[in-house]
Amino acid sequence: MRDQPGKFETVDQVNEGFKSTGYICSTDIATTVYLAFHLEKPVLVEGPAGVGKTELAKKAAAFMDVPLIRLQCYEGLDESKALYEWKYGKQLLYSQLLRDKLDQVIDKESDLGESIRTLHRYEDIFFSPQFLEPRPLLKALQEERGAVLLIDEVDKADEEFEAFLLEILSDFQVSIPEIGTVKARTRPYVFLTSNSTRELSEALKRRCLHLFIPFPAPDLEREIVRHHVPNIPDLLERQLVMFIHEVRKLELKKVPSISETIDWARALILLHAEGLDRDLTRKTLNTFLKFEEDVRAVDEKLFLLVDKALKETA
Amino acid sequence: MDRVLNHFIVSLRGAGVPVSVSESIDAAQALAIAGYADRQIVRSSLAATLAKSAAEKEIFDACFERFFSFQSLPSPFAAGPENGNEEQPGDMPPIGGMIMEGDLGGVALAVRDAARSVDLQSIRFVTQRGMFTARILQALQLDQLDRFVADLYREGSAGAEGTARQLEQGREALIDMVRRFVEEQYDIFARESTERIIERYLWDVRLTELEERHYDRMHFLIRKLVKRMNERYSRRRRRAKRGALDFKQTLRANMHHGGLLFETRWKKKRMNRPDVVILCDVSRSMSTVVRFCLLMLYGLNEVIARVRSFVFCSSLLEVSHIFETCPIAEAVERLRTGEGLDIHMGRTDYGSAFWDFTNRHLDAVTGKTTVIILGDARSNYGDPADELLQKISERSRRLIWLNPETPTMWGTGDSEMKLYRRLCDLVMECSTLRHLEQLVRVLVKLP
Repeated sequence: MRDQPGKFETVDQVNEGFKSTGYICSTDIATTVYLAFHLEKPVLVEGPAGVGKTELAKKAAAFMDVPLIRLQCYEGLDESKALYEWKYGKQLLYSQLLRDKLDQVIDKESDLGESIRTLHRYEDIFFSPQFLEPRPLLKALQEERGAVLLIDEVDKADEEFEAFLLEILSDFQVSIPEIGTVKARTRPYVFLTSNSTRELSEALKRRCLHLFIPFPAPDLEREIVRHHVPNIPDLLERQLVMFIHEVRKLELKKVPSISETIDWARALILLHAEGLDRDLTRKTLNTFLKFEEDVRAVDEKLFLLVDKALKETA
Repeated sequence: MDRVLNHFIVSLRGAGVPVSVSESIDAAQALAIAGYADRQIVRSSLAATLAKSAAEKEIFDACFERFFSFQSLPSPFAAGPENGNEEQPGDMPPIGGMIMEGDLGGVALAVRDAARSVDLQSIRFVTQRGMFTARILQALQLDQLDRFVADLYREGSAGAEGTARQLEQGREALIDMVRRFVEEQYDIFARESTERIIERYLWDVRLTELEERHYDRMHFLIRKLVKRMNERYSRRRRRAKRGALDFKQTLRANMHHGGLLFETRWKKKRMNRPDVVILCDVSRSMSTVVRFCLLMLYGLNEVIARVRSFVFCSSLLEVSHIFETCPIAEAVERLRTGEGLDIHMGRTDYGSAFWDFTNRHLDAVTGKTTVIILGDARSNYGDPADELLQKISERSRRLIWLNPETPTMWGTGDSEMKLYRRLCDLVMECSTLRHLEQLVRVLVKLP
């Protein structure tokens, strides 16, 4: 992962680079990414849903111009799904197709011991790299120019899998009994994301840099909205972000995320809104609130919330 | 910078962020790479390497602010411009010179150095503050300064007297400054030990006597306990889950491989998780115990399959739904205030509570259920209805009675404990956090 000339010289450079790919990041994010590159450590990203944890990894791949390899974790994920698997079907098919060949190899007259010895000379044929199905982790190690490996929602996987990850993340190599040790050609750049449904183990945390992405401050969020919806009127953008920030303070089942702010902004643009008003807001609540109860809760306080947003941006 | 970083890490640990050695090495490397020029970047680098959860980030932020704050106080040391240096006798301690020149930075640095030389980091108790202040002042050679001032007064010349007065004022400011510094450092380094003392106290304090200001800490402790228990017992359960090869399933799954067994299927053991039904006496005397007990039981949902909870005072009511719809802490609070509960809070009546339970909810108890009754068994001389309790006991797998009173009080006055305890499989005193921990052990260790 050393051949990224001129991209990781200062934190500001990282910041600018991400901006050019369309990801506006805070100093925290830029510094952590910068450090992760230099220290060659994985980054564990935590934060509420929809703040751009996964997006960060995607944009990092775009920024460094390497492929993104994604491993989605879930309960019951195991090595054969994450690391490698033998192509059983192909092995079976080949052994059937090559039956005649095998008959020739094993001389009809020779005895059992002789045949086994002969076969032993070919024993590795069916367990060779051609029959290996690499899964995300192995794929990331094999990538010539390095890769961004995104291990998404690692908290959903079992603890055993976490322990198994530790091994890979510390040495960047795995051993496959039939083939031998596979070492990373170029160290991949690893992001792990977690929604904190459970505590991750101390050992895993210790090996990673930790990045907590909270909901962005109003200024940062405005910048993000401006970036994604360039033709938004200035007044609307300010009122909208302020409104969303007020909504996030409420006790909701699911508070609106950044992507939902952007969706809402787009919706308002389509409706040719120049500024926020109560009626328009009520009609478009469902673009950023995804639960009936939430819509009702916000609707009840709509008057107050809109008023506040208008007043503070006046 | 390394020494500063070390001190910062000590203060972080003091505030409750566990920083390992490898993490502190990472932090030093991170600083070396990212540089010290930008405060924001320094902060982000340290946060990324040292604080590893949202809660720790918060503590980190507070610590960082406190530790790397630059106090720009107006200089309390008035510079003495009119005094020439020519008449300064030889034995003025260096601190005196700094005071004369009004060199606040120099004084601050000298205080820091002195603090280091007397090992202020090791401060742990409030009562040590005075001692450390005195030691630092001694390291700054205050006594020598005093002698010097006295000499100046004795000399009697106008210039000397002016200098002496100025030094005396500076001396006061210096003492003030040292005191404040010790105070600050105590805040930074000693938090942990105070926390620990409180924690130890909380483990053994009777829940009924717990002061309300400790509730938050208690919640925190229970969360910690629950986490530990969950970790310990879920691991055990997982081992039990790893079964033998299920040959029938394996054959079936590999039909399409022409009978060659590529994929294996394993027998799964049924997990043995206790179902719990808990009946809580929520009369006033019991409310804190009930609160923490429920807090813990519901936290243990990983280990315990299903908790159904009932509360009673004069009548009995199921409250499981409250725990299903609200966060635990909130639900417990609602029980305490009785908000929205259709329960008659008259005199505690165990007899009618048992009657309500056996008539309406007895189907909640099966041969797999552990029934826990949490109460002081003081039934105000009403009908104890022990035959109903016997019915519950026979139907359940186990009947555990938790009594917050000390055993010597059982059976005195209107307590029916002597009568009830014969019907229970286990009777435990339950008045401290330690007892609650024992309860979990009992629950999980199934016969």
